[in-house]
Amino acid sequence: MYRRDFMKDLALGGVLLRYGPSLLAQTKPNPDMAMVTGESPAAITKEALLALGGMKRFVSKGDKVMIKPNIGWDRTPELAATTNPEVIRTLVELSFEAGAKEVTVMDNTTNQAQRCYARSGIAEAAKAAGAKVPFVNEYRLKKMALKGEWLKEWEVFTDFVETDKLINVPIAKHHSLCRLTIGMKNWLGAIGGPRNQLHQRLDEGMVDLAAFFKPQLTVLDAYRILTRNGPQGGRTSDVRLQKTVVASIDPVAADTVAAGFFEIRPEELAYLGFAQKRGLGQTNLEKLTIEKRAV
Amino acid sequence: MKKERSKKYRALQSLRIIIQVFFFSLFLYLLFKTHFTGQDYIGPVETFFHFDPLLAIATAIASRVLFASFILAAITLVITLVAGRYVCGWICPLGSVHQFFSFVFKKSKLLKPRKEEKSAGRLAWKYYILAVVLVGSLFTVDLVGIADPLSFLYRSFVTGVIPWFARAGAAFISLLYGLKLSSAGDAAAQFFGTLSLNQTFQQGFFLSLLFLGAVLLNISKERFWCRYLCPAGALLGLFSRWNVAKVRVDMDKCIKCNLCTLHCQTQANPYPNEQWRSSECVYCYTCASICPTKAVYFPVKRTPEKIASINLSRRRLIFTSALAIVAAPFFKITPAGKRAAAKLIRPPGALPEPKFLQKCVKCSECMKACPTNALQPALDEAGPEGIWTPVLKPRIGYCEYYCSLCTQVCPTGAIKELTVEEKTKVKIGSAWINKDRCIPYALGRPCIVCEEHCPTSPKAIKFVMVETKLPDGTSASQKAPVIDLDLCIGCGICENKCPVMDDPAIYCTSVGEDRSEKNRLLLETIQPAVLTEEPKDPYR
Repeated sequence: MYRRDFMKDLALGGVLLRYGPSLLAQTKPNPDMAMVTGESPAAITKEALLALGGMKRFVSKGDKVMIKPNIGWDRTPELAATTNPEVIRTLVELSFEAGAKEVTVMDNTTNQAQRCYARSGIAEAAKAAGAKVPFVNEYRLKKMALKGEWLKEWEVFTDFVETDKLINVPIAKHHSLCRLTIGMKNWLGAIGGPRNQLHQRLDEGMVDLAAFFKPQLTVLDAYRILTRNGPQGGRTSDVRLQKTVVASIDPVAADTVAAGFFEIRPEELAYLGFAQKRGLGQTNLEKLTIEKRAV
Repeated sequence: MKKERSKKYRALQSLRIIIQVFFFSLFLYLLFKTHFTGQDYIGPVETFFHFDPLLAIATAIASRVLFASFILAAITLVITLVAGRYVCGWICPLGSVHQFFSFVFKKSKLLKPRKEEKSAGRLAWKYYILAVVLVGSLFTVDLVGIADPLSFLYRSFVTGVIPWFARAGAAFISLLYGLKLSSAGDAAAQFFGTLSLNQTFQQGFFLSLLFLGAVLLNISKERFWCRYLCPAGALLGLFSRWNVAKVRVDMDKCIKCNLCTLHCQTQANPYPNEQWRSSECVYCYTCASICPTKAVYFPVKRTPEKIASINLSRRRLIFTSALAIVAAPFFKITPAGKRAAAKLIRPPGALPEPKFLQKCVKCSECMKACPTNALQPALDEAGPEGIWTPVLKPRIGYCEYYCSLCTQVCPTGAIKELTVEEKTKVKIGSAWINKDRCIPYALGRPCIVCEEHCPTSPKAIKFVMVETKLPDGTSASQKAPVIDLDLCIGCGICENKCPVMDDPAIYCTSVGEDRSEKNRLLLETIQPAVLTEEPKDPYR
């Protein structure tokens, strides 16, 4: 290095140090979470992503994007057992606008996959926006080291691993065993194997899965929430209109907010405690910057 | 004598082959379409059956009710009455299968046609089989499903050929992945996924062997099944004596080479012409197109004439009918009717058991349509009469809540057609908990997977807190399932998803099924199949 260059760099650095922070401060930093309410599931999803700094914050040009909704049951969107198709459609569109090369939407369903994909409206909506909507394929299952506290290894659909960006799009629902099934529980749809055995330590199991998958973005569909008879519901009287979409970079905070819709405090949900202890995110919402909007 | 084959009849033969391929493809198309394709209602995929007069007549006799859709069978009868057994030779998909394999076996010299005066007596077999089937029907023993060509073909395909295809496909897919052709593997896997083929059937191996056997019989004689066994062919044969299309041999041209009779697919014996059997001819035109001198032709004669027919021995006919009369009670020597069978869970909409047995023709259409592979061909669950009738096996699959496909595809109404709305309210059985094996009850660990999967709202499986003594002397308190029989529909998803793999801790039996007036349990739960109002406060 020459002395002249060194002096130049020093001068440049000094200027940057002097004025840089104030330059940055002029553009507000992106929030950790955006919470938008409104009448249209599509519009509030769009607004939530906008408030979070736009889809470009998460999806780069040429990315392969995997969107993981909850398509677990053979139920229509009105019954709030599956993620709202309009939310999914909007996320697919936004991903493509941000430059995604390929967007895939899939879930390992509980009822017959063909039925769940059709009745939930998700397959049609996602395909209309240009996404691939394949059924899970057991040949793409691979036993992987989860390195969890309870789950050391499990069979995982590699589609959810071999992707550039992962977006978790759960719906908030009542569940008898873990009280609420939201974002972290949604990862049971990305794995194979005897999933029903995970219920013996469901709270720990889902946290191990959440720690393994680590989505870039969690978009909580709380347009309709299932308040009882979960996780399938079955009658519209089991459903409450919350008309909210929450987009968050913190998966634990997203689940915490969802619990609030059911008037459940974070310390009542064992898995939220485990997740915070593992450093997966925050249950103390005051430590996050949250942008609230209405459309 | 100038040797030249008839262009006209060779063209007609080609036309016949095209039409056979068309109808066999139509059969395959409708069969592969018999599953959930994204719509709740799938349309008349079972239409082939309604053109079968044997099924129409036998089920009408057995159940004493004529099912309206079978009016289409009259078309088949009229065609046969006027023109002859064209349906056997040109349309029947099982006939095409047999003819195709006869052709293959002939070309590979496995099947060598011989002069067969000796075996002409066997042609009568099928008429005796027909007699047994019809007399059996009279005594409400439904044998037609075992022997009817369409039932046989569909059953063989659903429980044998298609599962074979699906499993061969799976092997092919894993080969593709093994060769690192994963994008081709993905495409193939998605293709098979959209077909949703059921590939697990009890007796599947045995039923496949029966079909294989029927195909291999063609090595012995061309179209063995059609010649000697088919009761539907026999029925059409009875209607095919006075028709207008006749085989004639022009004796001026005939060189007595006997090729026509040698290659006749069904031993109808065009030469010598006075021994031609109108009831056996399926109008395949092989004789007319194979004749080296254009001597064989099919003139249209308006006036019926005396035609040689099968020599049915009156004594044998009486004997076989008597056999059916004698045999019928044997089918009833079974405890099946005495008490409802616990494991005999019928599809939703199934008629009460005696009526169901009279109408079910064991065609397996419902098993093809079932989205979860739950419907299985019975072995002894329903007694000897009920062999191969559908029974729901929760350990293999469960009754999908919003699905009524099996009720839509039943060709005879043995399963009453239901809308999805109606179906969700039909109770086909009841769930029970085996507390000795249930994880929360026996081991004091959390589970209640059954409750999670219960599809009704409110759920028929609720939970209570249960104290369990553990081996180390401490005790654990867990949520454990309890069943509300008023709400349980017996769909079996709880048994299907129970994590106690070998012998599920929750299981379904037929008790409480709506279709039975006897197989009931709690008298205060008696209510019509369709609930008129919602329970007041299901959540207490």
